[in-house]
Amino acid sequence: MIQLFRLSKSFGACVALKDVNLTLNTGEFIFLTGPSGAGKTTLLRLIFGSEKPTSGGILIHGINLSRISRSNLDLLRRKIGFVFQDFKLLPGKTVFENVALALEVCGERPGVIRKKTHQTLRSLGLADKESMFPLELSGGEQQRVAIARAIVKDPLILLADEPTGNLDWDLTLEIMHVLRKIQAKGTTVIIATHNRELLEEMGHRRIRLDRGAVLDDP
Amino acid sequence: MKIYLIVYLFRQAMAGLRANRMVQLIGIGTMTVSLLIFGFFLLLFVNLNTWVRGWGDSLFASVYIRSDAGEPVKQQVEGFIASFEGAECVRTVSSEEAMQILRRALGDQKEILDDLPDPNPLPTALDVIFKATEVDGDDLLEFKRGVEAVPGVDEVVLSEDWRGRAHALLDVLRIGGTVLGGLLAVGVLFIVVNTIKLTIYSRREEIEISKLVGATDWFVKTPFLLEGLVQGVLSGAASLGILYLSYLLLSAREIRWMDIPVLEVVFVPPHLLLALFAGSMLLGVFGSLIAVSRFFDV
Repeated sequence: MIQLFRLSKSFGACVALKDVNLTLNTGEFIFLTGPSGAGKTTLLRLIFGSEKPTSGGILIHGINLSRISRSNLDLLRRKIGFVFQDFKLLPGKTVFENVALALEVCGERPGVIRKKTHQTLRSLGLADKESMFPLELSGGEQQRVAIARAIVKDPLILLADEPTGNLDWDLTLEIMHVLRKIQAKGTTVIIATHNRELLEEMGHRRIRLDRGAVLDDP
Repeated sequence: MKIYLIVYLFRQAMAGLRANRMVQLIGIGTMTVSLLIFGFFLLLFVNLNTWVRGWGDSLFASVYIRSDAGEPVKQQVEGFIASFEGAECVRTVSSEEAMQILRRALGDQKEILDDLPDPNPLPTALDVIFKATEVDGDDLLEFKRGVEAVPGVDEVVLSEDWRGRAHALLDVLRIGGTVLGGLLAVGVLFIVVNTIKLTIYSRREEIEISKLVGATDWFVKTPFLLEGLVQGVLSGAASLGILYLSYLLLSAREIRWMDIPVLEVVFVPPHLLLALFAGSMLLGVFGSLIAVSRFFDV
């Protein structure tokens, strides 16, 4: 379970989030929605621990992120997958190496890394792209590689920042299908998106943010 | 730590070395030169130490007779030496021979000797050795007093005096070596720190992403420490190899100083070589540690 208590974040004079109180249950599929600048990405980054809140607190499975040590944060991140809006793929590494990196840093055995990486890439339709480099792929394919890297380690929480932004509708639904399968295994999936079509299609919990505040959480 | 993880980290280090070949080569080259300078200093110190210790086993004296003293004085001194129990004159260098030796030693600058006043001011030298079993310190002093009493004798220098001077020189070298070694160590550290920093900069994107997917600090730092270790090993091995080749070249020919053959050249003993090599590795690792510690805050 993820609990946010009176969470606020400012960047200088700019308020990105103010007084956010939320409870996100384990295994839930949640959309964070709202216009650009609403605070969706900031909220994801705070849950990921790459930003520190200005005030308030975050509990992830009972762990207080404000009090976590640097090394424990590294270990916690192994349980959290993040699909970045700009993908953050390494151009000098192949698709396979990019995805395998998430398992390598966890100290997995080479055999396990090979097997899980192949499986994940296959599930995302990237089996024939394994030895290609990111810059040789289309935007949509790069996005799928970023998703593969986030889900290959079977995370407890999956955070995705506009994961279908570069995909056509068919592929978007395909990716959503994959993410649902991840959720079915017990992973909490939190997706930031402003794709209204997608929100209409999927019937999950929607948290609407506007100017850093929760506007709507049915 | 698990073996496959060690293999993985080592492979990462090798990839880093390959990816920044030129930077690494410059770093290793500069480290090798610095270690080599210290190695040569060590070689000089070890040899001087060996020679001085060698002198400690033998007792000798050098008698200098003024150039204007003439042959009778020289004969009188030779007579005194012959009569002194345990003493033997092993070599006589006349003032003319001394001048020729000096001319050869000065090479292209020998013209400066043309301005010397006539007659030749260089003294005649007689080298005397003593049988250590028959002569002690008091006998040497008695010998010195006896020879100096002969009119025309300029100076008598005993091996004890030489040893004292050599020990003073060794002390200077020891202090100089410590200072030089310290300065070179700081220099080598600076080189390693900057080489590793450049490598880190070139791979900062990879570091950032590794951290974002859950790599611990040590997981990211270790390949850089291994790179520093490899730098230390390679430059240590290269400098020791060059030092040994230089020793072989030096020992293959007779070394003369002022046209006088000096003692045999010895190589640096194994424990000092090992210390130099270990020092090189330590500097490599320590330099990397400084570089990564100052850089990491992903």
